[in-house]
Amino acid sequence: MVEFKLPDVGEGMHEGEILKVLVRPGEAVVQDQPVIEVQTDKVSAELSAPATGVVQEIRIAEGDTVEVGTVLLVIDTGAASGEGTEAKPTVTPVSAPEKQSTATVPARQGASRSLATPYVRQLAREMKIDIEQVSGTGPAGRVTEEDLRQFASAGQKRALQEVSATAFAAAPVNEPAEPARPVTPAAVSKTAEQEKPVQKQAASQASALPVGVGDHLIERLPLKGIRKKISEHMVKSVTVIPHVTSVDELEMDQLQALRERLKPHAEKKQLKLTFLPFFIKALVIALKEYPVMNASIDDATNEILLKRFYHIGIATDTPDGLIVPVIRDADRKSIFQLAAEIKQLAELARQGKLTLEQITGGTFTISNVGPIGGLQATPIINHPEVAILALHKMEKRWVVREEEGVIRQMMNISLSFDHRLIDGVTAVRFTNRIKELLEDPNLLFAEMV
Amino acid sequence: MVVGEIAIETDVVVIGGGPGGYAAAIRLGQLGQSVVLVEKEVLGGVCLNRGCIPSKALIHAAGEYHKLAGLGKLGIRLPDGSAAFHMPDWQAWKESVVAQLSQGVEQLCQANGVTVVKGSATFLSADRIGVETGGDFETYKFRQAIIATGSRPFAPKALAPDHERILDSTDLLNLQELPKSLAIIGGGYIGMELGMALAKLGTSVTVVEAAPGILPQTAPHLTQEVRKQAKKLGISVKTATKVEEISRSGDQVTLAVLSEPHGREELTVDKALVTIGRVPNTGDIGLGQAGVVIDEKGYIPVNAECRTNQPHIFAIGDVTPGPALAHRASKQGIVAAEVIAGLPSSVDSPYVPYVIFTDPPIAGVGLTPEEAKEQGYRVRTASFPYRANGKALVIDERDGFAEVVVEEDTHLLVGMHVVGADAPNLIGEGALALELAARVEDLALTIHPHPTLSEVWLEAAEAALGHAIHIVNKK
Ligand SMILES: Cc1cc2nc3c(=O)[nH]c(=O)nc-3n(C[C@H](O)[C@H](O)[C@H](O)COP(=O)(O)OP(=O)(O)OC[C@H]3O[C@@H](n4cnc5c(N)ncnc54)[C@H](O)[C@@H]3O)c2cc1C
Repeated sequence: MVEFKLPDVGEGMHEGEILKVLVRPGEAVVQDQPVIEVQTDKVSAELSAPATGVVQEIRIAEGDTVEVGTVLLVIDTGAASGEGTEAKPTVTPVSAPEKQSTATVPARQGASRSLATPYVRQLAREMKIDIEQVSGTGPAGRVTEEDLRQFASAGQKRALQEVSATAFAAAPVNEPAEPARPVTPAAVSKTAEQEKPVQKQAASQASALPVGVGDHLIERLPLKGIRKKISEHMVKSVTVIPHVTSVDELEMDQLQALRERLKPHAEKKQLKLTFLPFFIKALVIALKEYPVMNASIDDATNEILLKRFYHIGIATDTPDGLIVPVIRDADRKSIFQLAAEIKQLAELARQGKLTLEQITGGTFTISNVGPIGGLQATPIINHPEVAILALHKMEKRWVVREEEGVIRQMMNISLSFDHRLIDGVTAVRFTNRIKELLEDPNLLFAEMV
Repeated sequence: MVVGEIAIETDVVVIGGGPGGYAAAIRLGQLGQSVVLVEKEVLGGVCLNRGCIPSKALIHAAGEYHKLAGLGKLGIRLPDGSAAFHMPDWQAWKESVVAQLSQGVEQLCQANGVTVVKGSATFLSADRIGVETGGDFETYKFRQAIIATGSRPFAPKALAPDHERILDSTDLLNLQELPKSLAIIGGGYIGMELGMALAKLGTSVTVVEAAPGILPQTAPHLTQEVRKQAKKLGISVKTATKVEEISRSGDQVTLAVLSEPHGREELTVDKALVTIGRVPNTGDIGLGQAGVVIDEKGYIPVNAECRTNQPHIFAIGDVTPGPALAHRASKQGIVAAEVIAGLPSSVDSPYVPYVIFTDPPIAGVGLTPEEAKEQGYRVRTASFPYRANGKALVIDERDGFAEVVVEEDTHLLVGMHVVGADAPNLIGEGALALELAARVEDLALTIHPHPTLSEVWLEAAEAALGHAIHIVNKK
């Protein structure tokens, strides 16, 4: 008998959310066969069976948040010697009579396939829902039409919140702590919030019973998974770090012209060249000149850690919330290399396939909210870093040059910094330097290593 | 290829007019796509012209003929005490059935705006096919394509049919005269179906099977009744026996067979039928030029949407890995058509029922008890015998049983199998029950009409719950 406990899969994580249980009681498992999917601090990991045997008991349910060390399932290793311990390859229900090949019919019928009628499956496809993600409330756990609708509306709410959160936020880490911002027409009102709590369903997906207050609907969703992590992180960041934000504007005309010239070259490499790689380049040059911006404070020992490497976090909007993949050693990569890496990381982030390694160890974060809009913001620092830069939308504005009003491509940037460590003067000089490098990109190239 | 050829443009080309291809073409037509369906022989494919339909026509005739002998018991006397089977009349009748069906397919294609082209198609590139008809060569440019070229009998060189004395299943179904003696090489479902039919019509049949038992793909407890009946019909079954050599000797054929206990033996018969497998028709249709890959056995791997590695080219039916069954081909055809038309569709069910038209027939869906155990289920099985069913006795069909495989914890049905009269019709209920994720109680609580064979399901389900009415329940 082996008890399989939630291991610490990431740096010092202490809990995880059970996304999916891939086995059932009575099922034979072999060592290293994936059995459970957990979502930890921003990564989802597949946990595999520690031993070969038969699953005796499953102690958790999909959707549970459990602490490291909690027993997830019990494997009877004694049963292993008996029968069916090997994960049998595809067994065909009496197949291909008179046929040469061994037929391959989708393996394992009931075990991993959720229960639903063909019509409900069809409906799920129409609604673009992966039926395996929906927990059924029907007899024996069958997924019903109603379950699909619940799942869809919960998903929609989630999506709306994320969009709004991103729109409000100037940085990956400064999202509102409360999960439900008033984004839906009939959303939360203070009085409604005080109504008696809505009973939560056991279902793993954010499924809450909507409650009516007159014709205003409130929905209560559990604050969990990534959203919960973000919220905890935010609170810590703003309570520990005294934030100051300074805003500046950049003239982008020369950079834009340069980018236009480089675009065809990028296309040859199948790259989409955005402004971001140029910003990263300017940023690392400035960081080298102002080491205090690429630092962190060790709160425990009261030490300042100056980092001589430049791992730049890029806030990325994903269906699961904002994630910050990290570009390592950004100072040693070319503009094109950066563009390629951004593309690759963004893709992985959207598919939820980033590894822990790819989202940790950043030294400075850039949040690019320009594509969505907004003039300025207070980005919240990605603790324990000491500063964060937000890029806002680029637009044509009237500006005065040599006593004359002219139209230029302008972009605002907001820099939040940790006032414990960084003085306002340093911060402004730092942004001035970035500004200088980007307004005349020739300088950028002159400084590049 | 003619230089400067002009390609005819179409949304979709479907290559092969079998149950996969024609179903796809008709569905595409319904969904408003322009479709060209290319068929080199006759619409309906193997299934309609030389497979399911002709073989079942023969099996039905043989069954009816065989029954005559037992009619005396029911009080029916034939005037002169005997009956005769006239093969040419049967051929004519079979042809009329096939013709009616294939005309039906033709009309349905027409009514749904499908352009049917007679000819042999080859891919020229990833968006063009060439079709050869007699001396003509026409090219078609397509946006999407469906490969449905089906399969053909497999025979190694040593067993190659000469189509005169050494036959494949197509030859056998086209015979104008019954052979006096027939050796069947391969005791799979086609061999056993045809062997039993011919035995009933008076042919002396020997089955040679290399595996330890006949119908090697089917669970032994389900094939037991067939083994018994084969014996009663006088079929000589040689299992664990290999055919070493086959040669013509005058107007007969001689088989040299080898087995453990008997060593080498010789067997001389009028005709031999080779049914040892089928191979996909993927070798000479220019798949390389279309960039479509095949596996080492020649099958085209596809995903649940029936897409090949080339996302705009689909493959369905016997050319894809999986059981070679007409209903699977049709399902895949419909899914491929719907995916092409942009509908969300998918072959996402593991429940492909199988039917074997032996005597008694066998049919099933889902897992057998052994398979369920292998896959880690804890299951309970229960069965109900035909001889305890009123209708079975009334129609003098007392051999067989229905079996349900039930998951112990949830009582969900994971498999249903039936051996006995009308099994192929009865399994429809099983397929529906499994698709609806029914529990064994659902089956037991459904009122089944009486007296019918379908009551065997009701009673098997009740037996699983420990309270069947018409048998003594196991404690
Ligand atoms: C004796 C026998 C009995 C059977 N009994 C049953 C049964 O009871 N139940 C069951 O479900 N299945 C049965 N089958 C199997 C069934 O017939 C096949 O699974 C089914 O026909 C496969 O359909 P398909 O559409 O994939 O291909 P096919 O039916 O093989 O059709 C393919 C078509 O493509 C055409 N074609 C091939 N190449 C080209 C080309 N290059 N250009 C144009 N046309 C081309 C062929 O002429 C053919 O008409 C039986 C088979 C046999 C031989």
